[in-house]
Amino acid sequence: MDTVVHLENVTKRYDGAAAPAVADVSLRVEPGEAVAIMGPSGSGKSTLLNLIAGMDRPTSGAVRVGDERVDMLSEAGAARFRRRQVGMIFQFFNLLDDMTVIDNVLLPAQLAGVRAREARQRAEELLTALRIAHRRDAYPARLSGGERQRVAIARALANRPALLLADEPTGAVDSATGDEIGRLLLELNAAGQTLIVVTHSPELARRYARRVVHIADGRVASDTVTGARS
Amino acid sequence: MSAVFRAARGGLGGRKLQAVIIGLVVLAATAASTLALGMLADAHSPFDHAFASQHGADVAVTADTTKASAAQLSGAARAHGVTAAAGPFATESVTAQLTIPGLNGTITTPLNLVGRSSPGGPVDQLTLQSGHWATSDSQIVLSSTAPGQVGSTVTIGKQVLTVAGVANSVTNTADAWVLPAEMSAIAGPGGTGQAQLLYRFSASATSTDIAGDVGAVTAALPAGAVLGTVSYLDVRQSEQSSVAPWVPFIIAFGVIALVISVLIVVNVVGGAVVAGTTRIGVLKSIGFTPAQVAAAYVLLVAVPAVTGAVAGAVCGNLLAAPLYRENAQVYQVGVLGVPFWVDLAVPLAVLALTVVAAVGPASRAGAMSAVQAIATGRAPKPRHGFLAQRALARLTSVPRAVTLGFASPAARPGRTLVTVTAVLFGAAAVTFGVGLATSLNRAYGEIQAAAMPVQVSALPPGLAGGQQAPGGQGKHIKNGKLKVIVGPGARLTAAQRRAITTAISAQPGTLHSVTEATDHLSLPGLSGGHGGAQLTAYGGGDPSWTGLGLISGTWYSQSPGVREIDVNTLFLTDTNTKVGDTYTLANGGHKVTVKIVGEVFQPGNDVNVFLSPSTLSAIDPPAGGVARYDVSLKPGVSPDAYAAGLGAALGDNYDLSTQSGGAKELLAVVALVTMLTLLIVAVAGLGVLNTVALQIRERAHDIGVFKALGMTPRQTLTMIACSVAITGLVAGIIAVPAGVLLHHNVIPAMTHAANSGYPSALISVYSVPEMIGLALAGLLIAVAGALAPASWAARSRTAAALRTE
Repeated sequence: MDTVVHLENVTKRYDGAAAPAVADVSLRVEPGEAVAIMGPSGSGKSTLLNLIAGMDRPTSGAVRVGDERVDMLSEAGAARFRRRQVGMIFQFFNLLDDMTVIDNVLLPAQLAGVRAREARQRAEELLTALRIAHRRDAYPARLSGGERQRVAIARALANRPALLLADEPTGAVDSATGDEIGRLLLELNAAGQTLIVVTHSPELARRYARRVVHIADGRVASDTVTGARS
Repeated sequence: MSAVFRAARGGLGGRKLQAVIIGLVVLAATAASTLALGMLADAHSPFDHAFASQHGADVAVTADTTKASAAQLSGAARAHGVTAAAGPFATESVTAQLTIPGLNGTITTPLNLVGRSSPGGPVDQLTLQSGHWATSDSQIVLSSTAPGQVGSTVTIGKQVLTVAGVANSVTNTADAWVLPAEMSAIAGPGGTGQAQLLYRFSASATSTDIAGDVGAVTAALPAGAVLGTVSYLDVRQSEQSSVAPWVPFIIAFGVIALVISVLIVVNVVGGAVVAGTTRIGVLKSIGFTPAQVAAAYVLLVAVPAVTGAVAGAVCGNLLAAPLYRENAQVYQVGVLGVPFWVDLAVPLAVLALTVVAAVGPASRAGAMSAVQAIATGRAPKPRHGFLAQRALARLTSVPRAVTLGFASPAARPGRTLVTVTAVLFGAAAVTFGVGLATSLNRAYGEIQAAAMPVQVSALPPGLAGGQQAPGGQGKHIKNGKLKVIVGPGARLTAAQRRAITTAISAQPGTLHSVTEATDHLSLPGLSGGHGGAQLTAYGGGDPSWTGLGLISGTWYSQSPGVREIDVNTLFLTDTNTKVGDTYTLANGGHKVTVKIVGEVFQPGNDVNVFLSPSTLSAIDPPAGGVARYDVSLKPGVSPDAYAAGLGAALGDNYDLSTQSGGAKELLAVVALVTMLTLLIVAVAGLGVLNTVALQIRERAHDIGVFKALGMTPRQTLTMIACSVAITGLVAGIIAVPAGVLLHHNVIPAMTHAANSGYPSALISVYSVPEMIGLALAGLLIAVAGALAPASWAARSRTAAALRTE
């Protein structure tokens, strides 16, 4: 398979901002890679992730995911793209509080029009694999931080995306839970899932990614293949 | 205090949509309420204005001068309770021959004549509409209710007088005035034998007061001297404002607008406070007291509300202007307008309601702890709707965006209930407005006999087209245009009738025709205020072909020997009779006893009698015969084209006219109904817009999550539209019977205000398919109100939505 993600001279400037959030970033991610994007707060890490996911549009430059020119997509096109190609995991989980665990996990498939039986089967598989099947009828408010993040991971994998994007996946949980989440992501990557993780933690980056891209002031400061994972 | 103002101003800047909605809602409520209350105040206001400005006579007494001397008549002014008196003025009922400049022939008309030296005086000051007061004995001044115009010649016995002016008496104390010396000349050596005395009293507000006043004057005069009295209350009742029939429906709309506006203001204000909870927490954390926080939020609402109230009062006055203008012309009191107290009271009342609606949620916000407010505002958690969400998620055959939308109202049941109620009132207004417009159309059609839009008569030689021959009794229309209703003497000859009937039969498009003749008589039992009764004789066909509405009973028989009549409600009220009673028509030496067989829908201040040509001939022989033909047309035939064709067939000696079928007045009222309905629909739509905007704001982050998971803009739009669809549909279904019930109560109130009953056709205006369509009005209002914010949400960038907390 060709490059999964290809960013070419991507710049994102917000209205009224003096400096761009992302400045002339070029980046490639190959299939099966686990890449950590690191940097201090405000460096542009999350903006980069949003651009890759088509949730925002660059001011200039090109964003390609697979064969898709993501920066050229309409809102509808970007939504369809995300259904098929991208799974998102957020720092604060972003689960819908008025839906049960199973309904949260089913949502991407339902929005994509997947047949009900097929969608439910996939959801049950994921809940079992992530060891939260016993909580399928619970509401997010009743779950621990780790459980919520596992539900979010299950939801992100519902439509078998080519690319998993995680924005500070352990930022809202304790370290033990964070380790657990990290191991899950490792397992997924080991199974072939292309993974891009945004983190400000060098420890996380070192343990769960083979490649670390440092971002500073919106620019790529360094791009290092660490090779080391545990 | 300046900190509070700054806080309120800052809050306003960030809540432009809510400020606009509050302003518009208050504007609509104020406009509708100003119009309604103004119309209500105006029901008798024009007459009252005129009565006050002209020092109208509370009581006009006709006294027998053979039983009371001039000194005794004058002395009666000192009776208990009399505050002003005028007279005695010599008075006599005469029959006059009247000519009109430019027309051949004369009109014979009864006149109640009074001798007065001037139009002024302490009581019953007359206002001159044209010309001047009589300056010589050969001049006469006519009342605006009498036929004739300046320049007309009036012959009374051997006296030939020229009309010098036309004047108005607010209580119609006479049909005409001459100088006292001329009165003596008309009456002859014996005098008139009657005198008119005009009085104003200290207590005259009620009929009981008037009865006491009349008693005092009667007691002050010799026994038997008082021949008759007319109270201003009777005249006031019969001369009530032409807007009185419209008052019930305007009030109905006004009340609906007020209720919706209160509901929406409560919703908007409550939502503004909820949406600004974080800001409240921030204000408190920097030192604002609870009272200051509450004051800031009340001010935040009050500012757009004041703007809306002022603008609404202006709009209400503009809406009322056309109706007031008509009254001002009728009563010659200058330009009337919405009373000042209404312009002051309504905006203040609406403002007060707005502030009261704001105080509750603002006080709750003020009482919140700073930490709680910030925490609540950052991530308001749903507390309701879980069951609905779960149940609807099971409907896997329904698109997920739809089920997400349907579940949404359950999350905020209080707000949903208020929104349902607001939409319900809006949809009820639509149902009511549609029914009202239909009823009004039917009413006008029935009043104007619009089923027979073509009239055919003959022109006497020498007359230009459009004029009709005088030669009988007539009555001027009050708008100042000269129109003479053809009366006795102006009848078609046998040859003319043959020519017309032949042409009508041969003309394609003819459905039916009837003959028509009219007359105007004073009949027994009618109060003087109506100026007699208008008699109309339809013959040569079924009177029901005219399209005139029957409230009850049947149409009179056309058989020559059968004496039956149909009358309007005012006749029955005035003569204290009912359908089925007998009544004796009396005119001069002719008396005919007839049976009242039907009540005809002819509202207003005129007494109408419908009878066969033979009965008309029996009561007034000169009035027999045929004056014109009325023709009804087959469906799809244009009246103007038909009249042109018939006119070509008949030639120049015949006059054809067509009715437009929709009076200007009808169009104006239907336009007003439409405007008020749309105003209320717009207000209800604004309420939905605010609810949806609030929903979107509260769920902006969730919407971002949906989009991140792959929800397209169309799915977002669908979800939001569906969130209001159920609300709208439920509201619409309930609104239809509510609107129908309102219609069924308002129509009788309107016809009652117009001195009439109502035929069933005015009530039975809703068909089943129509009601089904109207039930969708709520859905349409709801979806229309949701579209703008829904489109915005659909178009918004996912990343921006996710950043919202």
